[in-house]
Amino acid sequence: MLQIEIDRLNKHYAGFHALKDINIAIPRGSFVALVGPSGCGKSTLLRTLAGLEKTSSGDIRIAGTSVIGKPPRERDVAMVFQSYALYPHMDVEHNMNYSMRLKRRPKPEIAERTRAAAETLGLGSLLDRLPKALSGGQRQRVAMGRAIVRNPKVFLFDEPLSNLDAALRVHMRSEIRKLHERLKATSVYVTHDQVEAMTMADHIVVMRAGVVEQQGSPLDLYDKPANKFVAGFIGSPAMNFIPAIVSPDGHSLTIEGDAATMLVLDRKLAPGARLWAGLRPEHLSLTPVAGSLAIDAVVASVESTGSMTFIMVAVGAQQLVVAHSGRPGVEKGGAVRLHISPRNIHLFDRETELAVSG
Amino acid sequence: MQSIIRTIRDGSGFDILLLGFALVYLVTFSAFPIIYNIVMSLQTVDMFTIASFSRPFVGLQNYYNILSQPIASLVFWNTVKFVVLSIVFQLSIGFGLALFFNQDFPGATYLRGLFLAGWIMPALVVGAIWKWLLAGDFGVINHILMSLGITEGRIFWLSDPDIALYAVIIANVWLGIPFNMILLSVGLASIPRDVYEAAELDGAGPFERFRSITLPLMRAQLGAVISLGIIFTLQQFDLIAALTQGGPADSSNVAQYWSWQLSFQTYEISLGSAVSVMMILFVIVVAAIYVRSTRHEHSY
Repeated sequence: MLQIEIDRLNKHYAGFHALKDINIAIPRGSFVALVGPSGCGKSTLLRTLAGLEKTSSGDIRIAGTSVIGKPPRERDVAMVFQSYALYPHMDVEHNMNYSMRLKRRPKPEIAERTRAAAETLGLGSLLDRLPKALSGGQRQRVAMGRAIVRNPKVFLFDEPLSNLDAALRVHMRSEIRKLHERLKATSVYVTHDQVEAMTMADHIVVMRAGVVEQQGSPLDLYDKPANKFVAGFIGSPAMNFIPAIVSPDGHSLTIEGDAATMLVLDRKLAPGARLWAGLRPEHLSLTPVAGSLAIDAVVASVESTGSMTFIMVAVGAQQLVVAHSGRPGVEKGGAVRLHISPRNIHLFDRETELAVSG
Repeated sequence: MQSIIRTIRDGSGFDILLLGFALVYLVTFSAFPIIYNIVMSLQTVDMFTIASFSRPFVGLQNYYNILSQPIASLVFWNTVKFVVLSIVFQLSIGFGLALFFNQDFPGATYLRGLFLAGWIMPALVVGAIWKWLLAGDFGVINHILMSLGITEGRIFWLSDPDIALYAVIIANVWLGIPFNMILLSVGLASIPRDVYEAAELDGAGPFERFRSITLPLMRAQLGAVISLGIIFTLQQFDLIAALTQGGPADSSNVAQYWSWQLSFQTYEISLGSAVSVMMILFVIVVAAIYVRSTRHEHSY
């Protein structure tokens, strides 16, 4: 059962094509993240779902009915804003139940639903406070409470955690996820932080310059990125890309500018093809595993976070990052041999940047 | 001597110096005249005693005399009408224009700037122009009203005792609109757009957003504009001097103009002082409300 269907949606601002042929289908009860760098159109897409922006062509259906041309209040969607957008002159209680008061719900129902939402979010003792007397995290909760009491068809989140400090952000991430599992409400969550998207969402839509680059489950995007952009965007630290050429027999790769390194592939490719080889830092290991390939490198620098060590290495003229869990005991200027399993090598066409499979 | 110079240059002496200038100015040009005025309202002051400080003390006799004058109640009610009607129309038209120019349309800022023209014109000049516009025999307003068939004959705006006060009010409303509009525009612009968007998603239509978001968030600005408007209206003198001089037969006379007539035309200076003291007391109350209203300012 699809709760949101976005069908060949286009949006033009004056002379600017902000959203290009967007197609997204969101099943009821799922948590979808829209990610991409700033200016990719993810917030615009969210605002068109809310009805705050007009569309140029295409269709949006919520619970089966087209909402094109309908004002926000007829769409039954709730939104949590980046700035929280609380009503400054109303206390927490009135911020949360404004929508029910507008609908003239019976007083006992308003009180009961406000109380329930406040309890869920741990706001019970703050009901008579004005927003200015709340901390950032508390304001964020009130903004969520305002959405929860409405019990809407769809929740929209516009970078709701970006104004919080790092620790609180991680905490709220799991809170929102837990809340979603409890309420089972269809949610669309905009973020520029791929870690947020990976940890919270069932389904991720990666956008760039108004185009959906790829969508799928978090691990699908991680394991099978459709193009170089998605490969570089998903995963932290970002994937290493090195220019490579397929050998004449089509079974191995040489790194451009470093003929010494030969990577034998597990698939056959067009001989002489010029590609990007994508190697995730966490797939490069200092110890050999069964069937792994070896790359000789020189350590350029070492950064340790205690649990993780990031080793910057040079392979010929190419720079690579290696993520090593633990303390590897390598030193700047020393030689290391890196190992990678052939199935962990991602390949992308140099021209189209699309993934190349054998 | 050295140490005095040092504290003035580096220490608290400089703060005291700055404070001193402000205090001297306030005492000389504000506090002293007000107190002197209050003193005069308790004495008999005329052309013979104006130059000396020792004048017969009469207590509240001046207040009694002024309030028992036959035109006192006429002037009082004229003043009430002048202030209330001026404020109501200045505020509603000014707020309406502010809301209009707060919409996003091409040229909104420039058009709003044009409205400032009314504000930078001296009230005496505005009065002179309105006198022509309102003139009974050759005035443009009568011409338009008659051409459109709204009125049958000429209206003698400035010489008909039933209408003169309202003619002055119309000119004063025109004069006050830009001030109201600009101050309220600033307030409207400071309300974040996403608060309105959140209200829209919560189900509020345009009227409901105005009632439950705009009005409460504009409370401080509205309080400021109303109280300043009352004060400005109570000191509106030039317009009356240019248009009707309070006439005909005091039908458009208001307290501030009457006080001036008593002091400077008939030289009943202590009576004029008594009127102005009563106005000061009222203005102090309004000013207190203004100060209180600024406490309701919201931070976003």
